Amino acid sequence: MKKTKLLMGLGALAFVSAILVAADHIDAPDSMGTTADIADFYAFEPSEGSDNTVFAVDLQSNVLPDLAYGTFDENVLTEINIDTNGDLVEDLVIQAIPRDGKMYFFGPVAPAATGISGQVMVDSPLGSVDISSHVAIVETTPDGVSLFAGPRQDAFFFDFFQFNAVIGGMAPGGFKPAGDPNSTDDDDTTAVDTFDGANTMSIVIEIPNTMLGETTATNALGLNVYKTWVTTNAKQ
Amino acid sequence: MKLENIKYVFLSFCAMTVLASCNNDDDFTPPMAMATCNDGMMNGDETGVDCGGSCTPCEDGMAPMMPDFSGTYTQIDFMGRPGINTVLSADDETKNAHNRAIPSEMGAMFQAGFQARLEAYHDVYANLLGANPDDVNYEPNILGLDAATLTGYLAADVLEVAPDLPTTYFNPGTDNDMDGRILVPDGDEVALTGRTPQDDVIDISLILLFGGMEGDRFSGQDTDMDGTPDLPRLTSDGVGLTADVSTTFPYLGAPE
Repeated sequence: MKKTKLLMGLGALAFVSAILVAADHIDAPDSMGTTADIADFYAFEPSEGSDNTVFAVDLQSNVLPDLAYGTFDENVLTEINIDTNGDLVEDLVIQAIPRDGKMYFFGPVAPAATGISGQVMVDSPLGSVDISSHVAIVETTPDGVSLFAGPRQDAFFFDFFQFNAVIGGMAPGGFKPAGDPNSTDDDDTTAVDTFDGANTMSIVIEIPNTMLGETTATNALGLNVYKTWVTTNAKQ
Repeated sequence: MKLENIKYVFLSFCAMTVLASCNNDDDFTPPMAMATCNDGMMNGDETGVDCGGSCTPCEDGMAPMMPDFSGTYTQIDFMGRPGINTVLSADDETKNAHNRAIPSEMGAMFQAGFQARLEAYHDVYANLLGANPDDVNYEPNILGLDAATLTGYLAADVLEVAPDLPTTYFNPGTDNDMDGRILVPDGDEVALTGRTPQDDVIDISLILLFGGMEGDRFSGQDTDMDGTPDLPRLTSDGVGLTADVSTTFPYLGAPE
């Protein structure tokens, strides 16, 4: 080949990297690589029939070189927004903000103001947890809320560079076929999880649904859901 | 921050914790001791047993002060569903704008651009396949949504999670009612009820964007049976979960 193909591939990669390092994990120039960069957001029932809901927010990611990863920023407020009536406006917020080695949580509470600016809802403390290092430190509040904050593996998986090649018109065959996930043979013919081995700074909260209340919001199939999203907010 | 606020913050923090006593290092001068300040109970406006509030300040080092959380915080990054901003915002300006927007305004701001982006992806492949881009348009997807409806749905970028149903981001293989249709919304399928770390959200997104009505429109088929795929492989990126995850809190694996 192979040399020509390889060189072409590398050339394309460099080109694509230059124009498209704006991925979702790393999705926009203004937030990419900052301590406020949201890497991912999960919301799920921890086990079937559970009366709890889990929210997991990943901040930062070292998926690519030079991206910030490693500490929470005390000037960054992470906010989980919950809409319970389907108008796409937050009815409840759960906030997390670090101070001196601890992550403090507030809510769930109606925010003093909706929209892009707000304050820490200090009158509605939920609890706090020591920020973990390698081993997870978990706190459970008297209300049955579990709290965690610290570095974790980035669970997201995506052949991100091939995606860039696809949308750049440089991969007429599309995505690559799955390879043996345990193979170390990196021959560029099978798909690769760009996020394999990456870490993030994670905030995880498991909370009884009773604290979130009933919801009348519905999804596209007409099922009752909380409509949720996460934001990071910088102190002005 | 006003003193009143500081005091209130401090009090609320002490109230939420089970503390023997609280620390108060402001310029507060203790007033005359009140009747409850010697009864061995935390009552009145005390923040510890017989101390704090209008009693003598609690001893130093016995309890943490409420940290300072004052100030206004303004949104700089946003996320609902995975990959939406990456895949459907056409340029850096749009990506930045998306991160500063609120969901109730996103439909009006981004739907048209998302739809154009979706059609542009199909054009890329029309050109590569030697076809007329006008002939390779988005076709309604496996959920029965056309391009405008789908992009309108995705533009309001929220992640939905059901409190009372199993979590299923989307399972393209489910035909729960055995009616021969895969996840057409006829009322008894469960989907779009949350997202777990195990969900293959990229493959699901690709199926909805490129899979067409059967979910496999661009899945690398060899339509002319010449032994070589002549359609691009766009409905799966070919990778699965590689990170450690757990069934117990905090669910995500220890860092590598």
